[in-house]
Amino acid sequence: MKTIIKFIFCIFFIVPVVFAENNINDKNQDAYDLYKELRCLVCQNQSLLESNAPLALDLRKVVLDKLEEGYTKEDVKTFLVERYGEFILLKPKYSVQNILLWFGPIFFLLIGVFVTFIFLRKQSMNKEEGISLSKEEADNLKKILDNNVP
Amino acid sequence: MIIELGHFFLALALSISIFQFLLPALGVKFNSYGMMRSASIAAFISFILVFLSFLSLVYAYITSDFSVSLVAKNSHSLKPLIYKISGVWGNHEGSLLLWVLILTFYSAAVAILGRRLPLKLISLVLSCQGLIAAAFISFILFTSNPFIRLFFPNIEGEGFNPILQDFGLAIHPPFLYLGYVGLSVTFSFSIAALLIGKVDTIWVKWVRPWTLIAWVFLTVGIALGSWWAYRELGWGGWWFWDPVENASFMPWLAATALLHSSIVAEKRDTLKAWTILLAIIAFSFSLLGTFIVRSGVLISVHSFASDPSRGLYILLLLIFFTGGGLALFAKKAPYLKSGSLFKPLSREGALVINNIIFASAAATVLLGTLYPIFIDAINNSKVSVGPPYFEAVFIPLMVPAILLCAFSPMLSWKRAVIENIIERIIAVFICALFLASLIIIMNDGSASAFLGLFLGFWLICGTLYEFFIKVGIKSSFKIFIQRALNLPRSAYGMSVAHIGVAIFIIGVTVSSAWRIDIEKPIILGEKTIVKDMEITFKSIKRVAGPNWNADRGEFEIITSNRDKHFLYPERRFYPASQVNTSEPAIMSGIFSDLYIVLGESNDNADSYALRIYYSPFISWIWFGILLMAIGGVLSLSDRKHRLGYDLKRV
Amino acid sequence: MKKLYPYSPLIVFFILILFFARQLILKEDPSELPSVLLEERFPEIILKKLDGYKLFSVTNLMNANSPSLVNIWSSWCVPCKIEHEFLMRMSSDHNILIYGINYKDKKEDALKVLDLNDNPFYAIGVDLDGLQSINLGVYGVPETFIIDSDGNIRYRHVGPILEYDMQNIILPILGKIMREKI
Repeated sequence: MKTIIKFIFCIFFIVPVVFAENNINDKNQDAYDLYKELRCLVCQNQSLLESNAPLALDLRKVVLDKLEEGYTKEDVKTFLVERYGEFILLKPKYSVQNILLWFGPIFFLLIGVFVTFIFLRKQSMNKEEGISLSKEEADNLKKILDNNVP
Repeated sequence: MIIELGHFFLALALSISIFQFLLPALGVKFNSYGMMRSASIAAFISFILVFLSFLSLVYAYITSDFSVSLVAKNSHSLKPLIYKISGVWGNHEGSLLLWVLILTFYSAAVAILGRRLPLKLISLVLSCQGLIAAAFISFILFTSNPFIRLFFPNIEGEGFNPILQDFGLAIHPPFLYLGYVGLSVTFSFSIAALLIGKVDTIWVKWVRPWTLIAWVFLTVGIALGSWWAYRELGWGGWWFWDPVENASFMPWLAATALLHSSIVAEKRDTLKAWTILLAIIAFSFSLLGTFIVRSGVLISVHSFASDPSRGLYILLLLIFFTGGGLALFAKKAPYLKSGSLFKPLSREGALVINNIIFASAAATVLLGTLYPIFIDAINNSKVSVGPPYFEAVFIPLMVPAILLCAFSPMLSWKRAVIENIIERIIAVFICALFLASLIIIMNDGSASAFLGLFLGFWLICGTLYEFFIKVGIKSSFKIFIQRALNLPRSAYGMSVAHIGVAIFIIGVTVSSAWRIDIEKPIILGEKTIVKDMEITFKSIKRVAGPNWNADRGEFEIITSNRDKHFLYPERRFYPASQVNTSEPAIMSGIFSDLYIVLGESNDNADSYALRIYYSPFISWIWFGILLMAIGGVLSLSDRKHRLGYDLKRV
Repeated sequence: MKKLYPYSPLIVFFILILFFARQLILKEDPSELPSVLLEERFPEIILKKLDGYKLFSVTNLMNANSPSLVNIWSSWCVPCKIEHEFLMRMSSDHNILIYGINYKDKKEDALKVLDLNDNPFYAIGVDLDGLQSINLGVYGVPETFIIDSDGNIRYRHVGPILEYDMQNIILPILGKIMREKI
């Protein structure tokens, strides 16, 4: 049993070495990532990557130009947000305003776990207490038991 | 004349539905056998009336009767027959009539199949269904009437959005509605149980098959919609976390949770209050979906022409049914007797974790979809929540569910002993690790691809392993076959469905991790190499269709084994609606799809904007979902047998 | 307190309903974007000259005597044609200074439109590739900005200015700005 656990631990350390994260610091990859994160403002719910609208093509050009000029991905996003507002970001900013959004899922999980925990505790408490008999029932039981004693 | 008949039948159906609501409810209150029995009769009659009403609308579309306002707005005499028919539900009014048709159909089905159920229970269920039907029929008659005539009939219809003329799109609403409306049955059962004040075994045995039916239809409906979007919309994507898509996904998540919790309720007579709450919530998600699609409150590619006044009416429906259901739950649920106990580490415990995860997932999708509305109200600022958010949040949420899914069928009820199965878990772990690593090394994959593959293989290996243990892999072949044949269909259903999930995961992982996306201008005769395929732009021709003109490109594809294929993407122009569309050409295979989109030409018309997408294993996405649905059907075929059998004994 | 737990789904539901109701009552178009440049200086953009017309540059807007409008238009934009009548009325009847930015257009086409119709613009700048207008947060045509006499953007109108917009939005805002100076 112990050897198996050791074996698993070894695998955990080997596996990350086996593959490499594709870290192409390619301007094109950065542009591609940005297109996916920016909204096409004249389309119904498409990103810059998917849209062929004229404004989308213009914005893609702006993204490429700014990356060429040396802007980082964050800089490009800031540049566009200054002009169009946060609405252009498909991935909401990590800000205080959006705290509910980003922490929401964990919050839901925790509520679920909490409720389950309470439910399980209530269950086991009920089992321990047992069911108590009312006085009438206790008397009846005594009578039956007495009658059955030969 | 026929249209007026249809209109009349619908109005009649409204009265019958009101009777279907009132009489059985009063019958339960005053203990009148006759009143309670009237429920099924009312259910039949209202179904037939709505069916005839629906037929009259179909007739108007088929005959291109442009004196009917709806037909004039949404149809066209040149439309092929199949799209004329599907045009019946391709608009707000017609789709609502389809909704009501399916609702009355379910009510009638429940009336027939449930004729041996305890009278009080079935009466209250049908009464609730009657109320829902009455509410929706009055919604149609008073705000969205499909039978309105035009004073001066049009000579020709206006309805011709070319994107909507696709088979997948045509049949996906009926499937979706069969799913959405199916959840009304479990809703009605829950209301009935709360009103009666107790939940017994009969009730629980009934929830599961109806949930399964609704779930299977929802699964297929969502898959059809996604498949259509992939083939039609020209950018190779298949899910956009669009509000309308999310509106169908939320009930699916709730229904999946309901499916799993009803297993616990049935086997172990516990979690009943939670199951009731889930059933109410699942149907509420259906209603919410209706609201989102038709009210115009959120931006979406899919919404019907929005109308805030209709939105208000649906909001009232939501308040009444969901609010009413939740209020009833709050009042009555504490009095439901709780059943047997279980330790956290047990089959029940695992299913509870499944429910926590799926309920959180549904809540998360709801949060992301509605967040723009919240922030606009609180902060008066416009925020948008798109695919990057959902992907970042949903996938981590699902990972533990998948991990659990593989071995929780190995856990025993009430109290599981972990030592018994830890060897199996380790075996599955190593197997999945090995397979995933192999593929990653051979194909140069990333960490996220590895995780996806690992999860997929983990689930397949775990499910298969559990299946073979159940059937007795160590015994002789004869015993193996015997036990395999005797295995209840629901066990097969579960295994098949879970393997479907695994195949889906692998399809998603591979198609996104190893996708090749080429965008470039191309001239005639130019060759592009993608993977092991040579793609040559052979020619471009002007072609004409029934209602469009197009530039059709001819692309020759030569695969590694010297097979030749041709693809013909088009850029179409529809004169009637002045719309330009791009028709992608797709070469689909088991192991990959090649997807070519022809863009605009430059001014000299000697080069064209071209996009080529190579998506490996993308068909596995829909194949996996199909397997899930098949698993559901398998389970269903098991339940029905036992259902009739048990009732006869009772 | 324990008795309230089963009411929690109901309470959450009612909060949701409040948000929906607000959204429905407001009847806003969810795809319309308010400008993020409100109360800010008009951005420094560089436009090209259109032959025969005064060149519009940002300096026109700074330290002006009165508020003005900056209208983004193109010859290929259909609502712009409809809006033209109202721009003319504001320019000649109400003596409002209107500057035009010709957006992603061919100079010949723009000149043709101006020749065939009256010219509401005091000065015109040309943005051939549309990239300058991106600095204004422009996402479609037509759009009109109301600028106060210090050169700050006070309002952005999306879509054509029609009778209703002119009477109920544009003119009142201009009036309000002018009263501030007093």
